[in-house]
Amino acid sequence: MPGVRRSLDAADEEELVRRTAAGDRRAFDELYRRTSPWLAARLRRRCADDDVVADVLQETYLAVWRAAGSFAGSAAAGSAVGWLWTIAANRLVDAFRRRARLAQVPPVPLTETVAPAAEDEVMAARIGQELEQALLLLPPELRQVLRAMVLDGFSVRETSLLLSVPEGTVKSRARRARIALREALS
Amino acid sequence: MMRTVSAAETAPTTHPWAVHAEGLRVRAGRHLAVDGLGLALGAGVHGLLGPNGAGKTTLIRALATVVKPAGGRLRLLGEPVDGRADLRRVRRGLGYLPQQFGFYPRFTVREFVEYMAWLKEMPKPLVPGAVQRAIDRVGLASKANARMKTLSGGMLRRAGIAQAIVNDPEVLLLDEPTVGLDPEQRLDFRKLLRDVGHDSCVLVSTHLVEDVVAACSDVVMINEGRLVYQGTPDDLIAQGGAGDAGDSPAERGYSALLHRHRAEAAR
Amino acid sequence: MTTHPTLAVLTRYAEGSGLDDATVWSVEVHLEGCPQCRAGLAGATTDGTRALLDRVAIGLAGGIAAGPVPARRRRLWSAVHRRWLIWALLPWLTMTGAVLGCAVLLERLQPGLPSLVLLLAPVAPLPGVAVAWSRRVDPAWELIAGTPAAGLTMLLRRTASVLALVVPVLVLAGARSGVSLALVLLPCLAFTTATIALGAVIGVRRAAAGVGVLWTAAVVLPSVVTEKLPVVLEPGSVPVWTVAIVALAAFAASRADGYRRLSSHN
Repeated sequence: MPGVRRSLDAADEEELVRRTAAGDRRAFDELYRRTSPWLAARLRRRCADDDVVADVLQETYLAVWRAAGSFAGSAAAGSAVGWLWTIAANRLVDAFRRRARLAQVPPVPLTETVAPAAEDEVMAARIGQELEQALLLLPPELRQVLRAMVLDGFSVRETSLLLSVPEGTVKSRARRARIALREALS
Repeated sequence: MMRTVSAAETAPTTHPWAVHAEGLRVRAGRHLAVDGLGLALGAGVHGLLGPNGAGKTTLIRALATVVKPAGGRLRLLGEPVDGRADLRRVRRGLGYLPQQFGFYPRFTVREFVEYMAWLKEMPKPLVPGAVQRAIDRVGLASKANARMKTLSGGMLRRAGIAQAIVNDPEVLLLDEPTVGLDPEQRLDFRKLLRDVGHDSCVLVSTHLVEDVVAACSDVVMINEGRLVYQGTPDDLIAQGGAGDAGDSPAERGYSALLHRHRAEAAR
Repeated sequence: MTTHPTLAVLTRYAEGSGLDDATVWSVEVHLEGCPQCRAGLAGATTDGTRALLDRVAIGLAGGIAAGPVPARRRRLWSAVHRRWLIWALLPWLTMTGAVLGCAVLLERLQPGLPSLVLLLAPVAPLPGVAVAWSRRVDPAWELIAGTPAAGLTMLLRRTASVLALVVPVLVLAGARSGVSLALVLLPCLAFTTATIALGAVIGVRRAAAGVGVLWTAAVVLPSVVTEKLPVVLEPGSVPVWTVAIVALAAFAASRADGYRRLSSHN
């Protein structure tokens, strides 16, 4: 049905969620098609175990399907993609708690400091380039804590669970990272 | 979407215990139900055991800041909660399920958990996701839109547990949460307890000694408002011998401790 | 990032390795806000990820078929969670309405008596306020008592619901018996504020009962017996009532901490 296809194509993610809330299965499938590659790629960079990633993805989209009405009603603040990540992040924490209970914590890959390739340097000026340079100067474990807390939005407790590191260590690394960044950016 | 991390969040923790009571005295009516109790609880699942009338419910109500202590000191998450204290901050990190659990019959499960999340002053954008997560964790996903008055006893209690964990509390207080749950539901509940207790402080008051041994990392026994014993379930079992009353090693340990405490009190 | 990452960067992001942390950070921040680049990423997904997503889609289909349909959208949040309060208040409101109706009738039958509506208006909302804040009537009382929101604001919100239902009845009764609206509403408001303020000290239920009894004994009965309007309800007393409302409200606000523990005295 070309008419339906076109209207779905034109709809943004928030509109797709609204239609899902009304029970529109096609809109939900379209939302899945558009956002799951991004979510999968992001999750895989936080958890090396593909089974956990698959469980988290399934639980996330199932939650979106079931609670679409509440999301649509209250999504005045934040984008659909923003709280898709929040749901996925919470399910990731729950999955790690389950695995911790069974003493099988999946290793979280520590991103290595790879030197930027030549073509990246040639890329046009990026906002926050000083921030990125400052980030690269930090030791990797500080960067990891910063990414978990600032970019992914995890709390101290959740970060400690995901990185298998005591809460006190998470806090001290966050403090050191803040000091180091402030120095590097001033 | 990057969020700002406040300095307060990364400040070093000054409180070693999530729950710290010293010489706590709490009244239930005119009777002093908790009389000089000292307690220090950290992360993990703590089982609260004791005979009827030992003061378990009153203790949990005092910890939930529902009842004001009559004396002694009580600190939750490092903040004092006796006397005139700012309770809002502490209460945001608490989860509480009372024994007599009342609800609004015409609410659906989702509406009920959302209402409690709103009362716990959770940031509004986070509420729908947190509510669905809590409902999924207790296994009520298929009944999320059913009215509370149509639920069975076990499902109602699970809805109560859902509202207690919706804000991912650092201190979770559960008073007889397994009443009405069938054995399979109790197994699921134990798994949930162990997950939650991984990084927060959970206090579960129960009559069933097997629940405590299976799910708890620590056992707290009280009698007549005082602390009788605190230790691991294995230590509890070690307290009992063949001569003590009980059908399981844990029950024997429990009755041995109770007997000993009563004998000392009579002296 | 104002500029979009190149396809090469997106491909390396999708593969899971080969990018430095800073680039990954800016790519992830950018992707959260850019649907076009997300579509580009979708095009650059690895086969492994595609297989994973297909697996998840099958599981999703099963989960959706097994579970309930999406929740209906919430409407009028406050109406939903105030429902139970309205139901609990209904008997008391009916009683208040009936009493005021009788008062209007009595005035018609006995014109010599001072205005009963005026005499009863101050205590009209008090039963409702006592009920709205009563442990026995609110089934979820113990759950609510331990939440951060329990306190003066909650009490005020519930009192506002009670007033929203009682004031129209009062206005109607006042209009029918031809008395000054200010003299009907201001004492009513003052007594409500007094109950709340006293409630910080002795508990709302006791305060409502005490204030009601005091008013009836000290003002209503003598006024009915002597058939004279009491001094406090004469037209000139309007500014006094206004001052009283402000003073009592200030007192209640200063004792706001006392409401945190609902259980005290109630």
